[in-house]
Amino acid sequence: MTQSQTAKSMTHGEAGLVLVFSISAFLCLFAAANAQDAPFAFHAFLSSAASLAAVIVIGNRYFARTSLPPQEINGRPNYNLGPIKFSAVMAVFWGIAGFAVGLLIASQLAWPALNLDLPWTSFGRLRPLHTSAVIFAFGGNVLIATSFYVVQKTCRVRLAGDLAPWFVVVGYNFFILVAGTGYLLGITQSKEYAEPEWYADLWLTIVWVVYLLVFLVTIIKRKEPHIFVANWFYLAFIVTIAVLHLGNNPALPVSVFGSKSYIAWGGVQDAMFQWWYGHNAVGFFLTAGFLAIMYYFIPKRAERPIYSYRLSIIHFWALIFLYIWAGPHHLHYTALPDWAQTLGMTFSIMLWMPSWGGMINGLMTLSGAWDKLRTDPVLRMLVVSVAFYGMSTFEGPMMSIKVVNSLSHYTDWTIGHVHSGALGWVGFVSFGALYCLVPWLWDRKGLYSLKLVNWHFWTATIGIVLYISAMWVSGILQGLMWRAYTSLGFLEYSFIETVEAMHPFYIIRAAGGALFLIGSLIMAYNLWMTVHAGEAEVQSPVALQPAE
Amino acid sequence: MKAILTVHNIASDLVTTFWTPIFVGIFIAIVSYALWPRNKAVFDEAAKMPLREE
Repeated sequence: MTQSQTAKSMTHGEAGLVLVFSISAFLCLFAAANAQDAPFAFHAFLSSAASLAAVIVIGNRYFARTSLPPQEINGRPNYNLGPIKFSAVMAVFWGIAGFAVGLLIASQLAWPALNLDLPWTSFGRLRPLHTSAVIFAFGGNVLIATSFYVVQKTCRVRLAGDLAPWFVVVGYNFFILVAGTGYLLGITQSKEYAEPEWYADLWLTIVWVVYLLVFLVTIIKRKEPHIFVANWFYLAFIVTIAVLHLGNNPALPVSVFGSKSYIAWGGVQDAMFQWWYGHNAVGFFLTAGFLAIMYYFIPKRAERPIYSYRLSIIHFWALIFLYIWAGPHHLHYTALPDWAQTLGMTFSIMLWMPSWGGMINGLMTLSGAWDKLRTDPVLRMLVVSVAFYGMSTFEGPMMSIKVVNSLSHYTDWTIGHVHSGALGWVGFVSFGALYCLVPWLWDRKGLYSLKLVNWHFWTATIGIVLYISAMWVSGILQGLMWRAYTSLGFLEYSFIETVEAMHPFYIIRAAGGALFLIGSLIMAYNLWMTVHAGEAEVQSPVALQPAE
Repeated sequence: MKAILTVHNIASDLVTTFWTPIFVGIFIAIVSYALWPRNKAVFDEAAKMPLREE
């Protein structure tokens, strides 16, 4: 082996990360040895092993590489697709895992014996595993993958940083691993959608700040004078999630060697912080981020410009100004002051306007291309997702009205509403984006089979309809039974009678979930075959060959 | 030090008292920017951004 002529040296990033991860490997081992509880010891060992693996991978990459990848090849940006591929694969994996756990817990509600009488498989531990897997693992990876793709393409520059994008995608998935295994082992801080304990939260903070920096610096070094609207939505998503995460999670650990911590906020302030966080996770994670996908992938797939770019600007700012105030609608008729509840309700109702403005903008982008809905199931998936967005953003404000909420709150209606948004909007727009993204990333002419996309579309659509209609009926039935009084003023039904009444709907819901899961398996097969058996694109859109 | 505190108090008092008109003003400015006739050409170009890459 010949030595290279020019001396190669480690970049600051490589050297810094090797140093940090080496120290971290020892510190985590020390923490594992001093751990106060077994799950913490497991996570400390896991972190130590991961740190060691990171040192080895960074070291090997340094020894294998000649120079850093160029910013441009033949005058065209040398797009960084590796981390995006990783995130896209993880999205499919976590999606299937999350939907499968969802099906399991739906079945547990219908047939409680499926709890298996084991702590690790009880509903209480599997439910946060399901919600985190679908929202943060599946949705999060889709958002990271698409945001890294869209920001490069619309800024016409290579993604900022060398190791930083890899740090974001691998670090984020490591957070998911720690959070998920923690739930199974019984670690939780008991905050809905913010269950991970203090050390996982700290790690996520670091990863998220790097994500923000990679995204921001890519925008700053852009070759396009105008910042495309999708990047505004992604940026709002990243910045707001950072603020929400910090606001809702300031906790004091009982011991630095233990998993248990106590939150700084007390009483109703804690409840308000929790639902300020919770609803804006819906608003900025599940809405703003996926609207960015809508604004890039629908025009791209339909080959039509955005219907109204002016409307997209107003849509963006109206959403930003209003969403942040809507959280208190989760706390109607609680100890939260009445004026705050009314404020939350009012802002939720006002949200109708930007939500529907955005929906109209997405749908009307198809003007002149409506015929493609018949021939392109991927576009159909994207468009139906926007229709579901319109439907659930109509239902949500309606449910935030206090008198409606007095019937709907704590019932299955809420579960139905959430899933019309999650399966119909977030799920379908993500599937549509993955169907577009995978052939682009792996340089394929197109998908392996559009027929299979069609099968996925219809299986999942029937699944969603079964799911949400079962939950609507079940929820309203439940709410009405709870508030039914006899002529003597006694409650007409005992709690267990309402549970019994819901049983058939739980079975229908589980059937709907099973169809949705089958659809995602069809997608996984189709994407796998696209990568491994698909026809390669002749004229590569990305110049990967070295310059002559 | 006292002077700084006073300036800070005036600023924060202004924001807490007038945040509604301030936010409404910012929002109106954004809407005007979006609808300003002279900006139309820029926005029509931007609407095509996903289509004219590579």
